[in-house]
Amino acid sequence: MIALLRYQAALFAGSHRWLPPVLGYAAFLALGIQSGAPILDAYGWAAAGLLPIAVWLTRICVTIEPPAARHCAAATAGPGRVHLAAVLTAAGAALLLALGGAAYVLLRSDPHSADHRVAVPVLPATVAGLLAALACVLLGIAIGALCNRPVLRSTASAVPAGLVAALLLLVLGASPANAAVTGLVTGSADGTITVPWLPFAATALIAAAATAATCALSSRRG
Amino acid sequence: MRLDGVGRRYGVRGPWVLRDVRLDVPGRALLRVEGSNGSGKSTLLRLFAGIDSPTTGRITGRPRTAYVPERFPAALPFTALGYLTHLGRVHGLRGPEAARRATEWLARFGAAGHAGTPLAKLSKGTSQKVAVAQALLAEPRLLVLDEAWTGLDPAAREVLDRAVAERIADGGTVVFVDHDPRRLAGLADAHYRIADGRLLTTAGGTAADATAAAGPRVVIEAVGPPGSAPWSGPAAEPPVRTAAHEPATRPTGLVPGAAELPGHPEVTVGADGTARLTVPAVHSDALLRALLTARPPWHIRSVIHPGTDPDPDPDEAPLP
Repeated sequence: MIALLRYQAALFAGSHRWLPPVLGYAAFLALGIQSGAPILDAYGWAAAGLLPIAVWLTRICVTIEPPAARHCAAATAGPGRVHLAAVLTAAGAALLLALGGAAYVLLRSDPHSADHRVAVPVLPATVAGLLAALACVLLGIAIGALCNRPVLRSTASAVPAGLVAALLLLVLGASPANAAVTGLVTGSADGTITVPWLPFAATALIAAAATAATCALSSRRG
Repeated sequence: MRLDGVGRRYGVRGPWVLRDVRLDVPGRALLRVEGSNGSGKSTLLRLFAGIDSPTTGRITGRPRTAYVPERFPAALPFTALGYLTHLGRVHGLRGPEAARRATEWLARFGAAGHAGTPLAKLSKGTSQKVAVAQALLAEPRLLVLDEAWTGLDPAAREVLDRAVAERIADGGTVVFVDHDPRRLAGLADAHYRIADGRLLTTAGGTAADATAAAGPRVVIEAVGPPGSAPWSGPAAEPPVRTAAHEPATRPTGLVPGAAELPGHPEVTVGADGTARLTVPAVHSDALLRALLTARPPWHIRSVIHPGTDPDPDPDEAPLP
């Protein structure tokens, strides 16, 4: 599995297909987080942007290998494990972006509530911000896994499905990603920190189930 | 490995590409699969390789497997050596060992000069050599070749023929599809034909087979260690160089009979105890290796190519 992860990570890094989502996320952060922005709002913004980015990264990782090369690796390691390595590579890349986003928020934001009157402790705020980011990453990975090969194999259906699902799950109140982000942003009004444990746990379960299902499917719907 | 009632179709309502395939896949065997275009050969090979799962039925006991596709894509951001090292690691080898074997196989295929070339810049034939090397470097127990010879130059085709003989000599199984009926003709242990989704066993004796079986052969004259005469045969299996995670097995017992030797040589023993082993030329390297690495080793007295053979094998019928 380590060898597979190394192979997939090298594929991903060497292909440079990661550049557009990474640049897109950087632009998203630069546009949305002004210097001196309230810290919890900034964390909420940084987390929300990660969801569609994680969907995009997952699509890149599971479609990066041409079929013949994937078959060579799959004959050796099993198609399920090859698919798992691809999804984990996407998760690792999204996690790196989440850490980068948190660092950017720490540098630029102001540790106060939205009206700049109540001080917000930086460490708990960062924990809440990172967990919200992780919840968005995990939900994005789940969407990305379910909206691409082996479930949806044509680009014409995979890309619109992934986009619509990402937007809906960001906006709909029932979504754990939405709950995590909303918790941060509403808490910012009076400086209270809501640590999104529940959304994080829910998205972890969803991502694990979606990944397991797609790995099991990968040998049936090459 | 065993295929039990295996069927495959694509999509819920798709037509059955393969139906009710029952097959016991033996070790130390070369299996040829034939069929017209679109008959399901590639589907069967992908099932063999474990890339696809059967829709119905089960495949059990698959050994360590490697697969060579017909066309290997260049769109990977690696050099030839870098890709092969990655795949070697996926096969369970350590990095330096994977790189060493990758270099060795590229050299065998005459592509050593391309080790540092990005895959995207390789010619079709050279990237096919990389695809073949990828499968061979970890010495798999099951090798699945889907028209792997396509695109290779004649020298590389011959190297692949010999590599197939080596895999079989090491006790492995090789399953292949190729459009050239002369490919490894006369060497396959079993022939299968796919027709209407069924896998049929066919007799291997096509016309091409017959000519090839009488065709290029090599005669090896060897003397066994004292006490092994008249004929007891060296250990059938040469010491197996195995991948990192597989314990090395070294057969110690003497196997009676020559049928177990690479290439199933015809053996005649002279009065002085010299054995004359006649094998198809593709298997000569594997047979020599088996003889030389047997415990105790055999002494090779001479290797005769039929063209230069001053004393034709008495078993061969005289030409009319």
